Amino acid sequence: MELYVTRQESYSRGELILRTLFGLLYIAIPHLFLLLFIGLWSSILTFISWWTILFTGRYPQSFFEFQVKMLRWNLGVSASLYNLVDGYPPFGLNAENDKIKLEIPYPESLSRGTLLLKSFLGIFYCILPHAFCLYFRMIWSAILGFIAFWAVLFTGNYPEGWHAFNVGTIRWSYRLNLYIGYFMSDEYPPFSGK
Amino acid sequence: MIETEQFHSIPQPEDISIREREDAMGAYLMMFAAIAAGLPLPIINLIASIIYYFINRGKSLFVKFHSLQSLLSQIPTSLINASGVFWAIRIIFYGAEFSNLFKGYLVFIGAVNIVYVIFSLIAAVKARKGNFYYFILFGKIAYLQTYIVKEVEQKIDVNLPPKL
Repeated sequence: MELYVTRQESYSRGELILRTLFGLLYIAIPHLFLLLFIGLWSSILTFISWWTILFTGRYPQSFFEFQVKMLRWNLGVSASLYNLVDGYPPFGLNAENDKIKLEIPYPESLSRGTLLLKSFLGIFYCILPHAFCLYFRMIWSAILGFIAFWAVLFTGNYPEGWHAFNVGTIRWSYRLNLYIGYFMSDEYPPFSGK
Repeated sequence: MIETEQFHSIPQPEDISIREREDAMGAYLMMFAAIAAGLPLPIINLIASIIYYFINRGKSLFVKFHSLQSLLSQIPTSLINASGVFWAIRIIFYGAEFSNLFKGYLVFIGAVNIVYVIFSLIAAVKARKGNFYYFILFGKIAYLQTYIVKEVEQKIDVNLPPKL
């Protein structure tokens, strides 16, 4: 999986303040309202895909592509809300967002055994260890995000290391979701945001 | 390919890509949408089938046929289930009688759903193999709607004098 969020050379202070004060109203609510329904559809497709993988060993390609598009849309909104990029995230599954990149290779076959393993024992060997590590990483991400807000406000520049770290946190959680939430990958997610 | 005069040719399994087969199979699995969404409302299945049909009808005639057949067969099942749910709500929340008629209706709902699930699963497996499977009545309607060749009438723009 490839997940990138472009780090801009300079960030707009005006947009930063606008997003911080009213981002919930003009970015989060409209996007998340639509993503709620898209997410509902996605959960239906995930459920069906689970059975399809179990019986055929394949994730239906159309369903897979839908999930990737939804995740891409989601990523665009998240990147904007976390102040990682400027600009308004585009609406729609097919919308182009040149500030983010999310590529997930389609697996021609998926293991039925791994599917059953992660469905019934995934909480022990995957969710708990990753959630434990991600919990602390997310706290640190939130702190960095808060400090980065002031850095952008005064300098117009998002420190590169902090940006990479916060994008890494998103990347880690996406990898985890792909493996255990969407069953779109058989590759155990690494304990890293790189 | 089997050619007929009024209908589009029926594709054979070797002509149908794996992607089309999976999309066609997915149409029948929409019967589990309510379970997947975590909402025990039969109407969810119907809505999911409608959405699925409109998303996929342009992909190929094979996918369109199976999506439409799934949608058409979903309509009576959903209505039967939904009326059962409303009846149950009246009994639970509005004190309507838990009558023998309702018990009979529950058995009827159970039977209908078992038949529906069995036939839908058979159709899903057939679709995955690239085959057609025709339900009684709905199969014929879906086939006619999908495979009939619709002739487009060309309207010739002719100027005419006023009617006197």
